Amino acid sequence: MAKKTYDLLFKLLLIGDSGVGKTCVLFRFSDDAFNTTFISTIGIDFKIKTVELQGKKIKLQIWDTAGQERFHTITTSYYRGAMGIMLVYDITNAKSFENISKWLRNIDEHANEDVERMLLGNKCDMEDKRVVPKAKGEQIAREHGIRFFETSAKANINIEKAFLTLAEDILRKTPVKEPNSENVDISSGSGVTGWKSKCCS
Amino acid sequence: MEFGEEPSPALAFDKEAFELTVEDVYDISYVIGRDLLKISSTGEEVSDLQFRIVRVLEMFETLVNKYNLSLEELKMERDNLRSELDRVIKEGSSAQGTQNAGPNQLVVDLTDPNRPRFTMQELKEVLQERNQLKAQLMVAQEELQLYKSGILPQAEPPMVEVDLETPENSPAPITEAKEEKTTIGKLFSFRRK
Repeated sequence: MAKKTYDLLFKLLLIGDSGVGKTCVLFRFSDDAFNTTFISTIGIDFKIKTVELQGKKIKLQIWDTAGQERFHTITTSYYRGAMGIMLVYDITNAKSFENISKWLRNIDEHANEDVERMLLGNKCDMEDKRVVPKAKGEQIAREHGIRFFETSAKANINIEKAFLTLAEDILRKTPVKEPNSENVDISSGSGVTGWKSKCCS
Repeated sequence: MEFGEEPSPALAFDKEAFELTVEDVYDISYVIGRDLLKISSTGEEVSDLQFRIVRVLEMFETLVNKYNLSLEELKMERDNLRSELDRVIKEGSSAQGTQNAGPNQLVVDLTDPNRPRFTMQELKEVLQERNQLKAQLMVAQEELQLYKSGILPQAEPPMVEVDLETPENSPAPITEAKEEKTTIGKLFSFRRK
């Protein structure tokens, strides 16, 4: 029986217009680094980060999507497997904010019904170039009943908080499976496997 | 018919048949008529012949007239077709630039080394494979780390399971590894078909 390095696997997805900083948000969270050069994501990519919440090791597999319309058919096929979706806009880009409704519609169309959603207004370090007031972000998040953070991947503001909050929200909904004889991890004694219980143990 | 200082009507006899005009036919008729008058003054029996010659000249006039009109029509038609051809060629060459495509079509410059070549499906497959390999690398790295740190004395199943399933394509590769397989065997067991 394998000793697992984590208890739960959560699959998250980052969506939003091209250039709002999805990849940078993820890079800050996974590698605690920031890169100013803009490289457009091709289709879909992912990163892994393990966090600990409520005494459980949670492996986050975070899918990073291309915001460009031309990758739409590829990226939308990844919505359904996501347990949590972060919709990112850029507070210095009005169009990216206007498109929130379009992205929310994509979620409705392609994601699981019970997917945990979150809205991020990124680049909040660029106050001088802000065109979307924080209140507007808060308002649209309230209207759709989802959480909202203003973040900055560059200045490392609210990035970890956003991911951990989303993971916590998913964890709260996760039915914790009691350890049974098949899934008990003998070597470590911790038997919580959650989603993974059906996998090769 | 006025002749004035024009060259002798007899010159019409020297012309090429296809170059004759109706005026040449009239010149020829004039010369023949003049000669016939000389003949008729010497004998009556040529009278019938005179009428037949006039008849032949009338037919000749009609034929030359008709020929020249047809030639003119054909020349006009040829010129029209020629300008039409020029127009079509010109349109064709300018259409190659941008306009030939319909509203939802894209013109691809085949000489552009950076032109689009692959389909979305191909890109999708490449990305899936890339992400699977990335996941496998993570599995291998993590396991290597555990071996190095001495936590894992024996070959055991992989520590990391990363689900790469997408809705369309669900090979569910990692989860099907069997207990008795080696770690390397497991890695290869989720290679794409």
